[in-house]
Parts: sequence; structure tokens; C-alpha cells
Amino acid sequence: MTTVPQSVPREAARIRSMVDIYLSTARMAVASEFQYRTGHYFFLLGMIAEPVIYLVVWTTIADQQGGEVQGLSAGYFAAYYIVWTLVRNMNIVFGAPYWEYRIREGDLNRDLLRPVLPLHYDIAWFAGWKVVMIVLWLPIAFALSLVFDPTLSPRPAEIVTFAIAIWGAYLIRTMLQESLGMLCFWTTRGAAIFDLYMTVELLLSGRLVPLPLMPDWVQDISRFLPFQWAFYFPIESLVGDLSNQELVQGLFVQLLWILIGLAIFRVAWRSAIKRYSAVGG
Amino acid sequence: MNAIRVSLLFLKLGVLNELQYRVNFFVSLLQAAIALVTGLVVLSLVYSHTEELNGWSKSELLCVLGVQILMGGAIRTYIQPNMTRLIEDVREGKLDFALTKPQDSQVLVSVREVRIWSAVDIVSGLIVLAVGLSRVTTSLGPEDAVAFAVALLFGAILIYCFWLVIATIAFWVVNMWHAVELFDGIFQTGRWPIGIYPTWLRVSVTFLVPIAFAVTVPAEALTSRLDWQTLALSIGFTVVALGFARWFWRFGLKRYSGASA
Amino acid sequence: MAEHAVVVDRLEKVFDVPERDPGLVAATKGLFRRKTREVRAVDGISFTVDQGEVVGFLGPNGAGKTTTLKMLSGLLHPSGGEGRVLGFVPARRQREFLSRITLVMGNRNQLQWDLPALDSYELNRAIYRIPREEFAPLRDELIELLDIGDLVRKPVRQLSLGERMKAEIVGALLHKPRVLFLDEPTIGLDVTMQKRIRTFVADYNERYGATVLLTSHYMADVEALCKRVVVIHHGTILYDGVLSGLAETFAAYKTIGVALENGHADLSAYGEVIHRDGDWITLRVPKAETSAVTAKLLADEQVLDLNVEDPPIEDVIELVFAQEKPE
Repeated sequence: MTTVPQSVPREAARIRSMVDIYLSTARMAVASEFQYRTGHYFFLLGMIAEPVIYLVVWTTIADQQGGEVQGLSAGYFAAYYIVWTLVRNMNIVFGAPYWEYRIREGDLNRDLLRPVLPLHYDIAWFAGWKVVMIVLWLPIAFALSLVFDPTLSPRPAEIVTFAIAIWGAYLIRTMLQESLGMLCFWTTRGAAIFDLYMTVELLLSGRLVPLPLMPDWVQDISRFLPFQWAFYFPIESLVGDLSNQELVQGLFVQLLWILIGLAIFRVAWRSAIKRYSAVGG
Repeated sequence: MNAIRVSLLFLKLGVLNELQYRVNFFVSLLQAAIALVTGLVVLSLVYSHTEELNGWSKSELLCVLGVQILMGGAIRTYIQPNMTRLIEDVREGKLDFALTKPQDSQVLVSVREVRIWSAVDIVSGLIVLAVGLSRVTTSLGPEDAVAFAVALLFGAILIYCFWLVIATIAFWVVNMWHAVELFDGIFQTGRWPIGIYPTWLRVSVTFLVPIAFAVTVPAEALTSRLDWQTLALSIGFTVVALGFARWFWRFGLKRYSGASA
Repeated sequence: MAEHAVVVDRLEKVFDVPERDPGLVAATKGLFRRKTREVRAVDGISFTVDQGEVVGFLGPNGAGKTTTLKMLSGLLHPSGGEGRVLGFVPARRQREFLSRITLVMGNRNQLQWDLPALDSYELNRAIYRIPREEFAPLRDELIELLDIGDLVRKPVRQLSLGERMKAEIVGALLHKPRVLFLDEPTIGLDVTMQKRIRTFVADYNERYGATVLLTSHYMADVEALCKRVVVIHHGTILYDGVLSGLAETFAAYKTIGVALENGHADLSAYGEVIHRDGDWITLRVPKAETSAVTAKLLADEQVLDLNVEDPPIEDVIELVFAQEKPE
């Protein structure tokens, strides 16, 4: 990829073609993934086991303690974990296991021969898939709400923030996972690294429990890491009680992490391709 | 018995095969450690906010965690590899060998694969169990140990039946690629006392996906909660399930061979 | 580099391959120490290809053909030497370079599996920035040339191997590449399909003047398409020239076919008997002795019919490929 500054018309053409590529890919993704909607549905159903378990455990504790755990009510937990299911899905991106597959099956050769960075293809594809996911998720969320009685009454500002934040979360996670996936060029055991990452993320992102329930030192560390901005922040923006200022700040922090992640990825990608071209596929 | 001889043969082959991949050992070790740490973190988090959960103390729940990890290890070592391979073979039409070899087809597809490195989970689960037991106040007698072993064995067989039924469904619904994740998700319910779950969930994880019999019941044996009726139910249910799974398997196999004629 | 489309100078590719002996003892040892072996996949090859030329690379599996193509398309960095395509260094993977080449590998998919090929073509249009006015006519023309009209509307996974290959080729040519790298394009296809694809490639080359580098281990591919053939074995070029010259360079023998009055005569004194078919006996003799043996046969035996032939190209190639790697 050349970095020579280009004249304005060329730049405009480049942007237009990028949009074109994104739309074409997203459209393909929707058509393709929609064919597997039954499989996706089962996946969604299986996936709700995790939050439902946490929900039940914490509401049980809340009930045992007289209705609240550290100021969080049973209704809050219900709302938290139901919104959790959407955010969790928005978080699913091409990760290390997929890069391993891509390299092994030779798909990477196909992608490298194209004059476009595979990252764009990945982002666009999953964006299209997410649209299908969201549609499938709605009835599940509705059913869960009937069963677990969440307390949810968001302000318009919160709804808008949430709508933006879930895509911000998607991009943060994309950058991180794609960067992590680069390790697959050096080892065939990307799965192990992936597991390690998932564990750290599980504990620090708000996926396990709402962050305020974690010990203070964990919360302090987490503030400087990207994980909670891809998970806890979007949920909290809708379910919790953040001020307008906090909402906007959160979105900016998301943007910051997207840019940091992108920078890391570009460096990692360059190294990875050098390595791939030396060793072959 | 022939089935046992065949199983042992495949076991030996599998071990020899897996020993080649040194990295798998360290990876499995890492994964076991991660699973363990996560489980312990969650437990301590929960118990930092409460004294007991549905009547179970922290050390008792540690025992449950131990059993769950142990059982999970057993499933991942022996049951899941065979069943996922079966699902794949059904999808790709590679089951002809099962129909043409002199051994019983069900035995063949159930014992071919083994992932020995997942056995580190079995070890890790036993360690956790031991630690939990050492802190449990009530004393245990030999009949508790026997009850535990029986409950564990029959629980494992039940899980096998469940998986076999799921894999057999692949004869009709060819695309079952999320089965493992689905199962792993539901298996997590075994970490907690099933008393806390709403009725519909409790019934599902007892009779639909037999997690309760595989994890909670053996744990109850070790924490002096088990009554003989539950144990009898476990045994009885397992026998019925085995019969049904076998019948269903042969039914599916008939359809398979008919379809690919 | 105006005239030459491809220039290759002492190109090399060396791999470090881990070695693993069988058995339990070796496996346990392997837990701690890893042995590697150096494999010279491409061992210093040089050649040039003019624009519009169709060159066939012939060689058995592992000869280095695919590795060479991968280096020329930018997927692999050479370990030594240099290769240039259309003046570009392939490894830099510049956009202008990638937009002018195409690599079609025999059994790899470039098309989306679950969707009709048309959708994948649409994506290629966006990726290569093909103007819409040019795109549709070219796409339709290619579809017609390869005769896959209805098939492009079906999901790719429902197509047979041959149909899929055709659809892949259409997708690979939509951006009008100047250089085509075809890696084993007819592998796994039936004879009719192979012929079809060969005809198409020849037509395409004539129409659009694209340079074609084709690898294969099927002699028929090369015979049908290429005036010039490069024989590669063990990473080196054994021959680079016209096809007809191949037999002359490598085959040091000719075959004599003879029908005798006495069909059961023993002719082993004249040369190596390689075939007996009823009354027809085929002999293999060293080239230099051909006329002498022929004369002797005619003089000493009751000959009904006799002909002298060059050995079939396939046999020649087989012998060439069977040579062990010189140490």
C-alpha cells in the first residue's frame, strides 16, 4: 500500500470505491448469512445460557440480601444481562481462530491477491452479519424480558448513545482481535492465545459481572484498558444512570481505542505479511 | 467383550497419535489453568457478596466446581471428540465404514477418538474437589464415596446418551456446527446449585440436557445431600436413556443407508 | 522493460522444513528438540516472457512450479535472485501491480461459496474499480465464452467442479489483467472440461493479448496451448524452448514398430522389446542405431510392415521426471 499523498480527485475516487466495496461486501454478507439463519438462531439460543446463569445467580443473591447487591437491584441485573446478549453479539468478530483457518486453507492467498486490505473485507462482512443478528435477536430479547422482568427506562440520549456505542464496541473489538490474529502467522496455536485473551477480557470487560461488583483494584486497572469500553460501557449507557457528559465522554474514549487498535493492527499486519511472504502458505 | 477390546485399541492409537503434538499438551495445560482460574474468580466474587447460595456454602460449591471441571474434562476427552466427528462424518457422508465393518456401528463411532490432553481437566477437577472436600465440615463415609462414584459414572453415561441423540439428529438436520458451543454454554449451569434456577430451567437441565445428573447429583453425594431416591432415579433414567439413544441411533443409521443408496 | 512482460533472474526459494521421524521414541525426543531440513524449492531459475506469449511450465509435483508462480504474483518473497512482472517487483504488492495480474489456482475458491457467482463478480467490480460501463459487457462476454449462462445464478456450492472452475475463471478475468498465472487449471476436471478450458485460454490470449504463464503436470494442457514449454524439476529449469524440441533433447531413442510374417519371433537381439500386440511388435532402440537396426530387420526377417517413430512426449517427460535429484 503506497502512502504517497494523492491529489483530491483521486482521494475522492478512493473513498467512493471504498464505500462501494463496503456496501457490496455487507450486502453479500447479509444474503449469505441469512441462509444460515437457523444455525445462527441455535447459536443465539445457546449463547443466552451464559447470561441467564449469571442473571439467576445474582438475582438470587440480591433476593437473599434483601433486594440489592451493592446498590444494584434484581431488576437492574435482569436489564443488564438481557442487553448483555445484544452487546455480546456485537462483539463477535473474526478472531485468531479464523485467521488460523484463513492461512491454513489458503483463503489468505486469495485475499492477498486483491488490491484491498483484508481488514476492510472483514469489517464490512461482519457489519452485514450483525444486521442479520440484530433482527434475530429481537424476539429473544422480548422473550427474556417477559421471563425476567427487567427495569429499563432509558432516556432518548441514552438510546442514541447506545445505538452508536454498540458499533463502537464492534470496531474496538475488531481492531483488537485482528491484531491478535496476526500472531497466527508465527504460531499455529493461535487458539491458546485467543483463550488467554478471552479470559482477561471476561474478567475486565463487564462480561462476567457489572464492573462495580468487581474489587476496586480490578476496576482501576480496567479503566485504562479497552475491554470495558467494548462491553460494559454500551450496556451501562442504556441500562444505567450515566449523565449526558459521561455518555459523550464514553463515546470519545471508544473512538480513541478504535484509533489505537487500528495503529496496532497496521504495524502488526506489516510484520505478519513480511513473515508470510518469507515462509509461505 | 469385543466392544471393550475395540475401545482399548482405539485408545492406544489415539494416545500414540496425540503424543506427537507436544504443543497440544502445553495448550491444554494452559486452557485448564484458565478455566480453573475463571471458575475460582467467579466463586470468590459471588461469595464476597454473600455467605451462602441456596443453602450451599463456599466450600461445598467448590466441590461442585471440582465435579463440573472433572466431568467437563471427561466429556472433552472422550465423548465430545467422537460425537463431533460423527456429526461431521454424517454431514460429509463418510459413515460407510460404520456400516461395513463387523463391529457394532454405535461402538465404532463412539470410541474412535480420544483427546488425551483434555485429561488435564480431569486432574484439575480432582484437585479442586479434594480442596473443597477438605474444607467441608460434614464427615463422609465409604457409602458416600460409592454413591459418588456410581452417580458420576451414570451421569457420564447420560451425557453420552444426550450427545449421541444430538449427533443422530445430524442425520436429518445436517448443519449442527454450533452443537459444541451450545453444549458448553448449557454445561455452565452445572456450576451452581440447580435450586436457584427457575423451574423451567431446572427441569431442562435435569431431563433435557442431563447436567444435574452429571454434576449436581455426584456433588450432592459428597456433601451428604444425596438421598437414595435421587440416585435410583439417576440409574433408572440412564438405563432408559441408553435404550432410547441406541434405538434412535439405529433408526437414523437406517435412514442414512437408505438415503445414500 | 517494455517488451518483456516477465523477467526472472536466478530466482531462488529456500524453505526450512521440520523433520519428524516415525515412532514413539522419536516423537518424545521431538518434544524437546526440533530438526529442520533445508528444501530448495526453486534453485536459481532464469527466463523471460514476452507480452502476449503463452508459456507452459511442466513438471511433476513438488518441482517448484507453484512456488515460482507464487513468487511472481507477490505471495512469496524470493530467497535470492529477482523477478519482475510488468516492471513491478511483485513482493511489494502495489495496487497497480495487483490490478494487472490474476492468479487462478486449480482447486482453490476465490468465489463466495454460498452465493451465486454473479454476486462475487459484483464484489470484484468494486474491488478492482472497474467502471460499470465496461464491467457488464465484459462479464457477459466471458460468461458466454465459457458457456455458463444459467450457472452464475446458482450458489457456487451447487456447481460441479468443472462448472465452478469456469465461474472462477470469469471472476479472475473481469479486471482485464495483462498477465495470467494459471496454476494447474485443469486439475481434477474431466476430459471435455479440460479441452473447453484450454480452448478458452487460447481464445482469450488471442483476443486480448494477455501474457499467460500456465503450470501443469498434464502434457495435454501444454501441447494444446503453448508453443513454448519450460520443464522444471527439483527447482531447476531442465529445458526452455519449443515443444517439438523436447523429444530431441531428452529422448535418446526411437521406437520401431514392426509386423512380421512370424509373429512369435524373438527380436530381443535387435533392441528392447517394449510391446507386443498380436503380430505387431514395438522395439525401443538407441537413436544412433536406428538405421542400422532397421536395415538388419528388413534384411534378416520377413517384414510385413515397419515404421519408425519418435517416442511419445508423455514417455519422454516421464523419464525426465523420474530422474533423481543430483546431489
